[in-house]
Amino acid sequence: MAMSAGLRKLALTAHVSVSVGWLGSVVVFLVLAVAGLTGQDAQRAHGAYLAMEATGWYVIVPLAFASLLTGLVQSLGTPWGMLRHYWVLAKLVLTVVATFLLLLHMQVADHVADAAARTLLSGSDLDGMRVQLVFDAAAAVVVLLTTTALSIYKPRGITRYGWRVQQRRTERAAGGVKDTAAAAQA
Amino acid sequence: MNDSPTDPATSGATPPTPRWVKVSGAVALAVMVLFVVLHFTGSGMGPGMHGGH
Repeated sequence: MAMSAGLRKLALTAHVSVSVGWLGSVVVFLVLAVAGLTGQDAQRAHGAYLAMEATGWYVIVPLAFASLLTGLVQSLGTPWGMLRHYWVLAKLVLTVVATFLLLLHMQVADHVADAAARTLLSGSDLDGMRVQLVFDAAAAVVVLLTTTALSIYKPRGITRYGWRVQQRRTERAAGGVKDTAAAAQA
Repeated sequence: MNDSPTDPATSGATPPTPRWVKVSGAVALAVMVLFVVLHFTGSGMGPGMHGGH
């Protein structure tokens, strides 16, 4: 299912936009998580956790799914394929795992935001969860930087499946050349 | 993904797995094992840390 050149550019623009947006919004989440954990002012921590919940559900989660969807469109609609090249496969696995962990992570964010909404968090209240929010967001930034680098460097390496597809194409092309030559001789 | 695939056409045997794939896979496996160990020993990120009231 190959896309036309114009459609490919449009799909690529969408994929890059939502993926970079995902990375940027996770950086914002990380800053808010650090502000909530280290801030001395309970009011500021309260605001940070409420902002994190909204950022997570209304920005990060939609962008994560949009990145996954546009990535699938890119891989299926271009010669790269989904399972032919290791770098595409690695990006797919990282994106699926990151999206799954994001949904788990949002349960923790919800819990902390609910607690912050009921009372002003201070000192060591929910310390474990607040540290986990920082750790998870930092790990997500590393994963998303890795997927960005994979897209740009496109390290070489073809999977066994990709190799078989390539072999079949080569054989088909060779068969086509033989048919043309036979037709020319006849 | 705006470039076209440029892997050289391979013939004969299946191409070997690139080194970057093996190294990345080993690192990912190590991180997963570390995460599981920390999770079950309760000394890292996980449910063991959630009761921080």
